[in-house]
Amino acid sequence: MQKKISSWEILAVLLCSVVALVVIPCLNAFVPETSALHISNFSINLWGRYFCYAVVAISVDLLWGYTGLLSLGQCLYFALGGYMMGMYLMRMIGSLGQYHMPIPDFLVFLGWTRLPVFWKPFASFPFALMMVVLLPGALAYVFGFLAFRSRIRGVYFSILTQALTYAACLLFFRNNILMGGNNGFTDFKYMLGYDTRSASTQRGLYIISGVFLLLVYIFCKWLTGTKLGKVQRAIRDSENRVLFSGYAAGNFKLFIFVVASVIAGLAGALYVPQVGIINPGEMSTQNSLEAIVWVAVGGRGTLVGPIIGAIFVNAFKSWATEAYPDYWPIFLGGMFLLVVLFLPGGIVGLVGHIVNLFKRRGQPPVSSSDTYAPTASKPPTAPAVTGAPLPPK
Amino acid sequence: MTTPPPCRAAGAFRQLAGFLSFCVFLLAVAVSARADDSAATRQLLCKAIQSEGDEQLKIIASLADSNSDLVRKVLVAWPNDGVFLIDAGDGTKIPVMLEDAQDADGKQKAVRIDTGDYLKDATGKPEAFFANDLDSVDSDFRLKKVIKNTLELMTLNDPDAETRRSVVMKLGMTQNPAYVPVLQARVAKESNPMVRTALNDAIAIIQLKDPNPAVQIPAIEHLGSVTLIASRDVLTAVVQDPASTADEVKAARQSLSMIEAHIARVDFFGTLFRGLSLGSILLVVALGLAITFGLMGVINMAHGELIAVGAYTCYVVENVFGSGLWLSPFGFSFHIPGLNRVGWQFQTYFIFAIPAAFLMSALVGILLEVTVIRFLYRRPLESLLATWGVSLILQQTFHLVFGAANVQVDSPSWLSGNFTISDVILGYNRLFVIGFAVVIVFLTWLLLTRTPLGLLIRAVMQNRNMAACMGVRTEKVNMLTFAFGSGLAGLAGAFLSQIGNVGPNLGQNYIVDAFMTVVVGGVGNLFGTVYSALGIGTIDEILQQVFGSPVVGKITVLVCIILFLQWRPSGLFATKGRGLES
Repeated sequence: MQKKISSWEILAVLLCSVVALVVIPCLNAFVPETSALHISNFSINLWGRYFCYAVVAISVDLLWGYTGLLSLGQCLYFALGGYMMGMYLMRMIGSLGQYHMPIPDFLVFLGWTRLPVFWKPFASFPFALMMVVLLPGALAYVFGFLAFRSRIRGVYFSILTQALTYAACLLFFRNNILMGGNNGFTDFKYMLGYDTRSASTQRGLYIISGVFLLLVYIFCKWLTGTKLGKVQRAIRDSENRVLFSGYAAGNFKLFIFVVASVIAGLAGALYVPQVGIINPGEMSTQNSLEAIVWVAVGGRGTLVGPIIGAIFVNAFKSWATEAYPDYWPIFLGGMFLLVVLFLPGGIVGLVGHIVNLFKRRGQPPVSSSDTYAPTASKPPTAPAVTGAPLPPK
Repeated sequence: MTTPPPCRAAGAFRQLAGFLSFCVFLLAVAVSARADDSAATRQLLCKAIQSEGDEQLKIIASLADSNSDLVRKVLVAWPNDGVFLIDAGDGTKIPVMLEDAQDADGKQKAVRIDTGDYLKDATGKPEAFFANDLDSVDSDFRLKKVIKNTLELMTLNDPDAETRRSVVMKLGMTQNPAYVPVLQARVAKESNPMVRTALNDAIAIIQLKDPNPAVQIPAIEHLGSVTLIASRDVLTAVVQDPASTADEVKAARQSLSMIEAHIARVDFFGTLFRGLSLGSILLVVALGLAITFGLMGVINMAHGELIAVGAYTCYVVENVFGSGLWLSPFGFSFHIPGLNRVGWQFQTYFIFAIPAAFLMSALVGILLEVTVIRFLYRRPLESLLATWGVSLILQQTFHLVFGAANVQVDSPSWLSGNFTISDVILGYNRLFVIGFAVVIVFLTWLLLTRTPLGLLIRAVMQNRNMAACMGVRTEKVNMLTFAFGSGLAGLAGAFLSQIGNVGPNLGQNYIVDAFMTVVVGGVGNLFGTVYSALGIGTIDEILQQVFGSPVVGKITVLVCIILFLQWRPSGLFATKGRGLES
């Protein structure tokens, strides 16, 4: 049964969308720079990136908050999507590179005179877009199929995703796979005929990112409201009971895993033209874990949480890396510790808690089945249930 | 562990400095040892310096047998314009060398080569000169070559066997038949078996050029039977030489194939040895994780940083023993008076660093357990995240305290260097890590199975609630177990500081490998970790050989592990249990 969406929520989403997608771009484009209301190109670009981060955060939450799969490799799919878009953008540079050759500069540098075969189709935007969806999706499908088939779960799944990401990161650092090596792709010029460096293109990308975020939000809202969403949460809370009830939990997990990866890949594809660079550093474990921080801080098991978390943490990061560059990792680590130890519900959970305090109803902070309730996730004692001695933890 | 002799130089830098001063030292020794050199040798030298042309070359070549430090010193100085002729006033010239020590004006006293005394002025006082004012004895290209040759031959008498061996091989590789008698004469005198083998090999290499097949073929066969890798090129040359007879080519081919087989064996054992030592490193790194992750079920992402704590402790101990520790953020240098050690006392620092690293990491581990992990035993995914936060904080702390750049820890001399068994090179540090791994695995096993604490640890790990019911203070046991696992990480760090530089991200390089090792071995089984570490280490090393690139090897290993877990999802040695939620 689909949960009723409150009119408050619709109103809030509408309001945010209008402000973010209409008012802010207008303030950037039509208000003169001298005005106090003007929004700079820099801010537009920054917020465009935040939207991409928010999409990644939603995809992490779809896995972690809703299905209980903590993937430490979500940035792998993000970066793969980014690389596919990057290949298209590299082709669009044409002969405008430093070497004035019809192939990307780094290939000239590596001694190539002709385009490698797999680079050829990337001149077409629809092909690149297809690859943005296909490559992360296919990789997630293969990896997920293998992992879920052998019932790798919990922390083992996390560690394996981390290993996969690490392997991919090492691979992309190599020059001889012809993906730019250490430096990755950069110096983009044109996208679909528009100059990627111009303010209007950046504004367009910002709007596209915002719309994409909105669509992902609506899609996930719908998805988690369906019966599939119910099974998803049931897997999170007790996978064995789902199995005993006759559901093929692995297939559900695989589906969610692929969907989340495709979403992350698309976010990466939108992200790359906005930052103008993609390199293997995007795949580091650190980035994947940062995405998890966004979700944890915002509040997992909700869809608003990841968005709030991604924007809040990144805004904080932008400020802190400038004001206290040496202490940013300490802030980040501390934030993580704080949230995990004291605020399992994140910002959204905290707000819910405060609201409940005001209402004095004595109910748990956020009562709906949406929220992740860590303490309830596993029965504390197993012997009575399984009738066998507990295997060592 | 044996205490190294005091004369051993410490560290690479000191070795370099030592080498430079050694050259100077050689000269000084030669001057002081002048009494030992017979007058005849001195006369011969003077004659060599003052004669011309072929006669001069002949005299110099004849000096090769002299085994005199003076001759060595003069021949070293000569081509470098260090031998001078000074007019004696009566038309004759006196060959001299200048003493190293300079007086206040920068003048140096001259030592007569013919007598070994100082050159004196009329009043009988030693005379001093500016080097630039004197005429040095010229040396042309031919002369330099002969001098170099003579010096090499003289090295055959060097007291150090390794030096003798290397010069013998060098002479052999020239394939100059003139050396055969010299080398053969040396075989009779040589007492060191290693050098004697080298002499025979060198003679055989030279004899390959011999036109007489009766000499050549036994030489070829000799090289094949001793499987001398260095002779591969010269044997190939024999095969390709159109002047070689069929018998020679056949013999050379046979010897070559024997050598190739030997190389394959050497590569195999070398790879095996390196794989074993890489596996031991993995094992040392993963053992602590096998305790905290495998036994306790705590995902400690800060394990890598605990390794770094151990490595930095080693760095601190090294510096405190040595020249003092400079901590930039605090702006002071720290050293204990009287501990400013050099020589063998400094070399012992590592023995103190090992327990210090263990204790330091264990302390940090206790702190971590008490403040964070204690609250997350029932929430493994969250313990992963929280400890990752801790790892970030620790990394940045290292960064702030020790600087962003990697710091270098000088290995004690007894850990650097290597020795060779049948062409397989065995590095001391690689051997050490293998022994180290064996010792700590044994101690861990002893602790877990033969001590009361081990019993409690196993009880708590098997069933925490039941153990608590029986009166075990589980919190304390958890804390001690975690401290022990962390201490093992510190030991790993202490060792890693010996094979590479220490940086804030040291642990990050090993954490993924360590987790993989534990998962492949089977969580909760220490011996599984041992097997998987050695297995992964060896396979990694073999794949590196096959692909010729460490990165591709590593990627393949990671992919293999993912596929392996398809086959055995709970690792090599799965802990058997009937519970579903594990």
